[in-house]
Amino acid sequence: MLPGIEYFAAALTPFNVALALGGVAAGTIVGSLPGLTATMAVAVLVPLTFAMEPSSALILMGAIYTGAIYGGAYAAVLLNTPGTPSAIATTFDGYPMAKRGDGDLAITAACLASVVGGLVGAFALLLLAPPLAEVALAFGPVEYFWLALFGLSLIAALSEGSLLKGLIGGCFGLLLATIGVAEISADVRFTFGSRTLLGGIEVVSALIGLYCVPVLIDMVATPDRHLQVAATPRGFRLPEALAAAWRGKVNLLRSSIIGTLVGILPGAGGSIAGLVAYSEARRASKHPERFGKGEIDGVQATESANNATVGGGFIPTLVLGIPGTPPDAVILGALLVQGIRTGPNLFSEQGSIVYTFIYGLVLATVLMLPAGLVIGRYAYRFIVTVPKALLVPTVAFMTVIGSYAIRNSISDVVLMIILGVMGWVLGRFGFAASPIVLGLILGAIAEQGFVQGWTIGAAVGDLPGMFFGRPISLAIIALTLLSLLYPLLRGRIFGRRGAAGGEGANVD
Amino acid sequence: MSTEPSSSRDLPGTIIAAAFILLGAVFWWDTTDMSDPDSYVFPRSIIVLMIAFSLLLILRNLAFGGGRPRSADEGSWPRRIGLVAVMLLGALAMPLVGFLPAGVAVFLAILALAQYDPWTTHRRIVFPLVGVAIVVGFYVLFSEALLVPLPVGSLFD
Repeated sequence: MLPGIEYFAAALTPFNVALALGGVAAGTIVGSLPGLTATMAVAVLVPLTFAMEPSSALILMGAIYTGAIYGGAYAAVLLNTPGTPSAIATTFDGYPMAKRGDGDLAITAACLASVVGGLVGAFALLLLAPPLAEVALAFGPVEYFWLALFGLSLIAALSEGSLLKGLIGGCFGLLLATIGVAEISADVRFTFGSRTLLGGIEVVSALIGLYCVPVLIDMVATPDRHLQVAATPRGFRLPEALAAAWRGKVNLLRSSIIGTLVGILPGAGGSIAGLVAYSEARRASKHPERFGKGEIDGVQATESANNATVGGGFIPTLVLGIPGTPPDAVILGALLVQGIRTGPNLFSEQGSIVYTFIYGLVLATVLMLPAGLVIGRYAYRFIVTVPKALLVPTVAFMTVIGSYAIRNSISDVVLMIILGVMGWVLGRFGFAASPIVLGLILGAIAEQGFVQGWTIGAAVGDLPGMFFGRPISLAIIALTLLSLLYPLLRGRIFGRRGAAGGEGANVD
Repeated sequence: MSTEPSSSRDLPGTIIAAAFILLGAVFWWDTTDMSDPDSYVFPRSIIVLMIAFSLLLILRNLAFGGGRPRSADEGSWPRRIGLVAVMLLGALAMPLVGFLPAGVAVFLAILALAQYDPWTTHRRIVFPLVGVAIVVGFYVLFSEALLVPLPVGSLFD
């Protein structure tokens, strides 16, 4: 029997159901706007929860959080701009799907995958919270460094033709991430006297610039339609999405587990979960060459993984009092205001609150299916039917207000536009934006892990042992190498089989 | 579809790689002022890698060619440049004239740039009105509901 099942009915009160549905819908809409992250969605709505019962407050915040993570997929699929950083990898295949006229299918597939991922994460929280929380404690700085490098290994997959150009782009992104005041030494780096750059390059505005501005520049240049439109309406395309989900059930489950585990790691979050799951889905696929060109498995992998981080992130938040993801930090603050003391005894001492919340999270995730499908359909119809003359200025205005709102800074808006123009120019000559974005996102984690690991290793006099002697590090290094070398090995294996078995063994 | 010959030397790629080498050199020079190894170990490692990959790209392009088919320069350059200029000018004008007026001006200017169909009377009236409604709607959402302090404009203080 499920633990705390007696609290299931408490989660099902009309008030809590209304909170879950309203929270998911509000979160989905906020998450779909580029620049408004899940963290911001939760932070803005936290004050509303102070007057509520603790379990109801938690249900509302969990529902907003889970909805916002899913909502990020809309802009990723329809505008090539991740609505939230968690949806970065959704752009890789979601946007190509939309370009060829399958945007509706991509959104429905993203919704199904988000529900599956959200449920896996929520059940992990329900059933395995205390033992899984130990995983978070086993990760030291070096493991974070290797995890960041694992994410960077995706550059090989995202380089669109030239690995060297991808690697240069990745290095450029990593360098951009070091601009501003260094986190460890507090030295001012690469600002060249500019006060604007002191705070560093804001990741979300940079994402908006690198992904969205190039799309706008090309949209305004031609009278062609933004996306292909089907001649006849095709509804939600739910049967097709369900069939794809069933075909990709192993991918969905694996990505959800990856998302849960990455969510447990403090500071890692949905963007890294999505990237790692995408990398694994591509490696394990029978058709890795289709990834990046509109492969539905890529969308499913990312969306299931990023929603699984919601439940996963709550594990260290509730058991250890260490927020697993940035929105968890906001929720942790709200919990403290409510007088809830997190810790290993939370599940036994305040079971009524915790279990009601977890079942509420399950409920919100299930309600995301109808809410997400309906909102997604409207978002899709809006993007494909609105005249281009209105779509371009609307999206341009959203990029400006979205990048401003992160830090209330016009400088971020200007940097967003400059990076967007750079991304467009570089993209024209084979330097794709995604490796730059990967470097930018993973740079801080990689550097912090590297420098801390280096310092500790030097202090104990065992640098090689620090970086290459720990079991979790070795496992991540092995996965990274496998991810990088598997396409080559696979090509050789299939090449031999092809030679031995004749035409029957050909891969398309 | 027209493609470039396979012997192309990918001149733009070579120029961009050279620019990355220059950028790496400038960043390296900036690290010479840093006294704490924690500050420069990581960026210097990245700079070395970036310069090495850029040199490899240049050598590969010079030795074997490396151009890949690139779509022709289709589309309107004045509209492209206009979009970027309007967005930049609008962003810079926001602290002076305020977010709302600058936002409306940016929207209407880009609306004019993105319009390819004939300007019928219906479009002349409806599109700008929709634009103003969208900008005002977002302004109210961000400033009132999300409490983001949008610039009011120093000219009007």
